This record gives sequence, structure tokens and C-alpha cells, in this order.
Amino acid sequence: MNTLPYADQKIGQKEMVFIVANIVIGVGILTFPRTLAEKTGSIDGWISVLISGLFASVVGWLLGKLASRFPAHTFFEYTSLIVTRPVARVITFLVGVYFMLFVSFEVRALGNIAKQYLFTNTPVEMITLAFLLIVQYAVAGSRMALLRLNMLFFPIVLLIIFFVQLYTVQILELDNIRPLFTTGLGALLLGSKEVNLSFSGYEVVLFYTLLMARAQDAPKAVVKGLLIPIFLYLTIYIFVIGVFSTDVVKNLTYPTIELAKEVEVPGGFIERMESLFFTIWIMTIFNSCTVFFDLAIFNLGSIFRKVRKITWILVISPLVYMISLWPQNLVQFFSLGDQLVYFGIFITYLVPLLLLLIAKWRGVRGDE
Amino acid sequence: MFRRVWEEWKNKTLTSRQQRGSQTDQQASNKSPLSLHLQENLDTIKQLLGNPQDLIIRPFLIDNSGRACAVACIDGLVDTDLVHDKVVKHIQLLMSPAGKAIPASDEDIMTFMLDEVLSIIEVKTGSTMEEVLDAMLVGDTAFFVDGSNKTILIDSRGWETRGIEEPVSEGLVRGPRDGFNENIRDNTVRIRRRVRDPKLRFDATHVGQRSKSDLIIAYIEDIANPNIVGEIKRRIATIDIDQVEESGFIEQWIEDNFLSPFPQVQYTERPDKVASGLFQGRVAIILDGTPIVLLAPVTMGVLLHSPEDFYERWMVGSLARLLRYVASFLAIFSPALYIALVTFHPGLIPSDLAFSIAATRDGVPFPAVVESLIMVTTMELLQEAGLRLPKPIGQTVGIVGGLVIGEAAVSAGIVSPVMVIVVAITAIASFAIPSYNLAIAFRMIRFGAMFAAAMFGLYGVVLAFILMVTHLINLTSIGVPYLTPLAPQLVSDWKDYILRAPVTFFKKRPDMLQTKDKTRMKAGKSQ
Repeated sequence: MNTLPYADQKIGQKEMVFIVANIVIGVGILTFPRTLAEKTGSIDGWISVLISGLFASVVGWLLGKLASRFPAHTFFEYTSLIVTRPVARVITFLVGVYFMLFVSFEVRALGNIAKQYLFTNTPVEMITLAFLLIVQYAVAGSRMALLRLNMLFFPIVLLIIFFVQLYTVQILELDNIRPLFTTGLGALLLGSKEVNLSFSGYEVVLFYTLLMARAQDAPKAVVKGLLIPIFLYLTIYIFVIGVFSTDVVKNLTYPTIELAKEVEVPGGFIERMESLFFTIWIMTIFNSCTVFFDLAIFNLGSIFRKVRKITWILVISPLVYMISLWPQNLVQFFSLGDQLVYFGIFITYLVPLLLLLIAKWRGVRGDE
Repeated sequence: MFRRVWEEWKNKTLTSRQQRGSQTDQQASNKSPLSLHLQENLDTIKQLLGNPQDLIIRPFLIDNSGRACAVACIDGLVDTDLVHDKVVKHIQLLMSPAGKAIPASDEDIMTFMLDEVLSIIEVKTGSTMEEVLDAMLVGDTAFFVDGSNKTILIDSRGWETRGIEEPVSEGLVRGPRDGFNENIRDNTVRIRRRVRDPKLRFDATHVGQRSKSDLIIAYIEDIANPNIVGEIKRRIATIDIDQVEESGFIEQWIEDNFLSPFPQVQYTERPDKVASGLFQGRVAIILDGTPIVLLAPVTMGVLLHSPEDFYERWMVGSLARLLRYVASFLAIFSPALYIALVTFHPGLIPSDLAFSIAATRDGVPFPAVVESLIMVTTMELLQEAGLRLPKPIGQTVGIVGGLVIGEAAVSAGIVSPVMVIVVAITAIASFAIPSYNLAIAFRMIRFGAMFAAAMFGLYGVVLAFILMVTHLINLTSIGVPYLTPLAPQLVSDWKDYILRAPVTFFKKRPDMLQTKDKTRMKAGKSQ
């Protein structure tokens, strides 16, 4: 029931930019300085960030191209146009499963970090359950509302990062940053592979272009959306290394949160910023989770049309919850994350790029 | 899921209601016509009304023609002086233009009466008993002549009403002092006086099967979005209750989501607020018998605005608004934050303060949650008790409550002094919210936030916040998203949102209502 034209179900380029940026910024930004420092061993990791950022932008642009070829089709529909229906069914199903697993991963990550920084006594099962219930509530609402939620929380998240960096400038030590350009190309590339994992999320463009008023803006929107996280990753890496030095960063589980720990607000108005930082960070993790959850339902729902949305939510949620409790410790958890990302790279980057090639070759195009 | 079940159920009831409605229509079409005999008509009226004590029936003769006639009305609803001077006296003495004979035929006599005798502006004729009764019950006087099966219904409404007083619930330092009262006519006058626009529309209808209350849907035709007006009219047309005492019934019937704690229709007793709402393209719903006028659609931002923001200069208005947004946050979350910080994260509080809080909490036997619940509930009790009591006793409650909350509870060691400060801040913050119904919503959510904080600390508070925002984003008021212009973002509306830009900046009407006439200044140029 929408009486007004602006309340209709379309998003503009600006919205797409923010959605992409907000989804890429999730759990990855909290951990990537550690893996990057391990691989590159120096401040030069910023070059890796740039390389992987460039790579992500190119892939994102191509994905945007693919999606904007079919402005009025869902992922399943255009995949079946390009490569027959049964194949499309398999691909879409895998994509749905991937997003479902990703929700599990994010939920568990949130539980782990909350346990470490906010409360040590509360069991992780309860932390994740409470979070998952709210994610469920958000997903049960309209898809448009979900995307608007991204727009709403994103400025708050940017603000808190800006705040943390503002107050850590004074403890930045130039000695930690020097010397520059000491890492070999091989290490840099290895590092950029690690950062790449933290950039995942921009594949949403494959699915939400359908909602855009002008689908041809999709490739531009992805690249613009990626610029924000690239910039944030660059500055955060420099800040983290500058404050802690490379050797320390290698041993910090969540270097970015530790950076917030160093913040000293003048006047002692508030202490232990990291708790507050993470509390606000929950909003962006929530955004990523809802969007991934929604995409899982969107894709599975596009294969099985008869099943209602609410049924999907009720079926998927227990699965997500159980998978999220699977890893017994941090090591298992991070290795699960890595495997998941490789699966994701295959199913949401490689396969769609192949699809784009086939579509070009066969000349398949969606009608307006 | 619940919504779906509810929709199905509602659809079923709606269809059955429509069937019932068509039955009553059939009954209404079987209207009993009036009799030719005067006495018979008068007897029917007596019998249908149960011959009440306040029924006045006055039979008399027309001048010297000897023809019998009568007036019937209800005492107290009519202006008796008017009926006496302009009806009974005129007819008895027939002060009509000289030289005209009284027509003898039964049809002509009624026209003669209408055209020549009755010097009253609003008259109409009726031919069925239902019409007569309906008219009499709103204060009209029915005039019958023996031998005619027509009646003349004379508008003689005149009952005691409360004068125009200052609105009690919405006082302002600066701004007009008049408020609405219980009489719908007085209320429409208050609006007309402010909106001298020929396009102002008062669409009248009745609600309530038995109470038949007058209801007026007011809007400015070339400003308000026709979709919004149409939707409101459609929803009002579905109202099917037997009595409507207050506009709250209408509000609850037409709101978008009855499971939401947030009000989706604004109410006010200030005519200036209604007038400015109409000029923005909103729709006012005026009900007879209540000084509370509804305004829809509404957004969260509008509910946090006060007319004074515009009466004062823009800096004052902007600061007052900022303050109100802070107040909303405090009203919802301050007890929850207290619980979270004291129970889960004492490390977040600066050390010195943490120590002194811990010291004051030393003798308190309860955990912070119980302490807060005790205090917040006491506060709610005080607020509720103070509302109903007459003013002199109300002060006593204030003093007793103040003593109990402020002094005795602390010295008895039940709560800590910091808790008293938190409760005081919460209460004051919720009083700073201009819309009472929004403040009540915040009061309800406060308890939820407190429980969340008790279970999960800051994490719980942030989850409660996310939950609330998610709900608000999904909420609509007559189809207008509740958080516009924040989500969906309508940047051009931001000048009248958290800040209030100087008046010269308002060249256009708010975009969120998609008004027909978009310009506010230099009208006509870009229409």
C-alpha cells in the first residue's frame, strides 16, 4: 500500500553506492590488518590494499555490467537465459547457500567479538541468538526498508571510524611506519589476496540491480561504493601499523578494535572506547547480515516460487544458528571463514564472470 | 505472519460487514412516509422517541385561517427564543407581506410558509419520519401543517457549549491562545478564520451507526495529494462502530499498523497547528463532540515539532528541536544505559565516577535492574496519579512523590542517588516531547530497553535501538514512510527536520507529502 511515488520500490545510484560500501565494511575490516601484516611484514601492505581494491573494482564493474544487461530480471531468471534452466537452478541454489553460510559466519564473528570485548560470562549461544532474532525481524519486513536501514546506519559507522582516527593521530609513531617500500612483489600479492577476502560483499550488485531505477548506473555505483572501503582500509592499515608497529599487529586478533582501545577522550569523559566502538560496529554487521540473509531468501525463493518468504525465514534461521555454533574455537572459526570466502569467490565472482562472457558471446540481453 | 492472519480475518469480517451494511440500507430505504393528519404525525414522533420529557410539541393555529399546525423539537438542543420569535410568532400573527391570501391547497401552503413566512436562513423540507427524527435529534425544529404530508425542518440549533479556551495540553509561550472546543461548528470556524482559501474543503460525513456523530475531513484541494485524501476517505468509510465518542476511535480505525507502539496519526487542539498542517498538504479530521482534531499523515519528525519552532526565530527553533531529539533519546535509553553501564561495563565510566557510583550503591540491596524498575515504575505511577486528580490534590501528590522518590528512597537505602538523577532526567526528557502520544510510546519502549540492558548490557541496548529503528523504517502513516525524510532520504525536506532553516528558505512545500501545488512562495509561477 503505497500512496506516494517516492515510497515505491526503486533505489537510485546513491543508495546503491551506500549499500555496497556498507556491506563490504563488515567483520573483515576488524581483522584484515593482522593477516596483511603477517603476509607483508611491513607498512607496505597499503600497496596490497590498493592492488586488491583495484581488482575488486574491476570485478565489481564487470558484475555490474552483467546485472545491468538484464535490468528487469532476477539472478535466477537471467542465469537461465544465459545457461539453461537446470544449470541456473544449481548456480542460484549454491548462491543462496553461500549467503546463508555467510550470515552464519557474520553472526558467529559478532558473537566472538562481543564475548571478547563486551562480556566474558554470557554464552556465545545467547549473544548470537538475540542478534539473529532481530535480523529475522528486519528480514521479515520489506526489502526496501532493509536497504533504507543501510542508508541510515552508514553515516553513524563512518562517524565512529573518523572519531577513532581523529583521536589516534596523536599517538601515531612515524618510526613504526618507516621504512617504506621494503616488501617484495610476491609478498604484496600474497597480502592483496588476503585483503581481497575482506572486500567480499560487492556481489550484491548482481541481485539488487533489479531494484535500481536506472540499471545502467550499476557498474559505476559498485566502483564508487568500493572507493569508500578502499579508502577506509588504507587509512586504517596505516593507523594500526603506525600505532602498534607490525610485530604487535601480527599478534592482535582484532587490530582495528584494539586501535579504538587506544583512544583517550580528553577530560576522561568516557573510557574503554573499544566497547563503545564495537557496540556501534554492531550496526554495520547487522546491515551486512540482513542483506545477506535477504539475498539467501531472494535466491532460494526465486527457484522455489511457491514457498512464502516467512517460511524461508523460519526454515533458514535455525540452520544459520546451528552452523554459526559449529566452530569450536577461533582457529576453526577463521578457517571456516577462509573456506567460505573461497567458495564465495568461485560462486559469486568466477561463475558470474563466466556468465558475462557467455552472455556476450551468445548475445543474450534482457529486455527493459 | 500475524499480519497475514489478521488481514485474512479482517477481510472476512469486512465482507460480512458489507453484507450487513447492504441489509441496513434496504431497511433505510423502507422509510415510512409522513401522514396527512397532523395528530397522527405528532403521535408517531412521541411513540418513536418514547415520549421523552425533553420533547416539546406545540400545536397552534395559523393566523386566523383556523388551520392546525405544530412545531416539534427537543428542549435544550434548540434555541427556544429563535423558534418563538421567527417561527411560532410569525405564523400565529402571519407577518407576511400584506395583501397575500393564505393558500388553501395543501401543497401550496408549505411553499408559502418557506417563501414568505419563515425568516430563517437554513431550512429544508422533509417527507419521511426518519428524516424528521434525525433532524430533531441534532437540534432542528420540525414544522407540520394539518393536511400536508411534508414537513419543514428549521435549523434552530443552539445549545450550551464551552467557550473558546486556551488549549490545556499544548501550551505555548508564543503563539495564538485559542483552542478547539466540543462543537464542530466552532472548530470549523477556527480553521476557516485561518485558511481563507476557497479551495479549503470540508467533506462532511457521519460515523457511528447509532451515535451518528458529525465528522469533517478537511483539506485544501489544490495542495493535498489526492491519493492521501482518497485513502483517508476510504478508510473512514469502512468505520463501522455504533458509537464514536472521541476522535481516538477514528485514529485507531484508520491507523496503518495496530501492533506498533508509535502513534500514526497526530492529534492536536490547536487550530494554528491544524492550519499549518493543511497548508503543508495534510488532512485534518474533525469530529463533533471533542476538541481533539486529528492530522494525518504524520512522521516521526512532525511529532517532534512544535508550532513554536516557527514562531520563534530560526536559531531558537533549531536549538529547541535539537534538544527534543536529545530528549527523545534520553527518555528511551537513559535508565537502560544506567543498567548497562553499572552492571556490565563499569569500565566505560570514568574511574572516579565509577568509584563514587559504587560507593553510593554500597548499601543498596538490589541489582541495578530491580532498582531502576522500582524507580521508573514509581515515576509512572506518580505521573498517572497526577493526571486524574483535581489540581489542589495533584500538588500534594507531587510533594509526596517528590519526597518519596527524592529523599526517602535514598535514605532508606532502597535506591542510590545516581538512580534518582537518572529517573529525574528520564521524566523531564519525556515531558519535553511535544506530542503526548509519542511520549507514551517512548515510555513503553523504555521498559523494553531496560530489560534488554539487563540481559545483554550495551549490546542489548544497541540491539533494542536497532530493533526500534527497523520497526520505524517499516512503519507507514497513510502510506507515508514514518521516518521520512531520513529514510527514504528526501534531502530537500531536511531544512524542516532536525534543524529549522530560516523561513525565507521554505520556497517549497514538504516533498514527502507529494503535494499538488509545490510552491510556497511566489505562488502561481511554477504551478
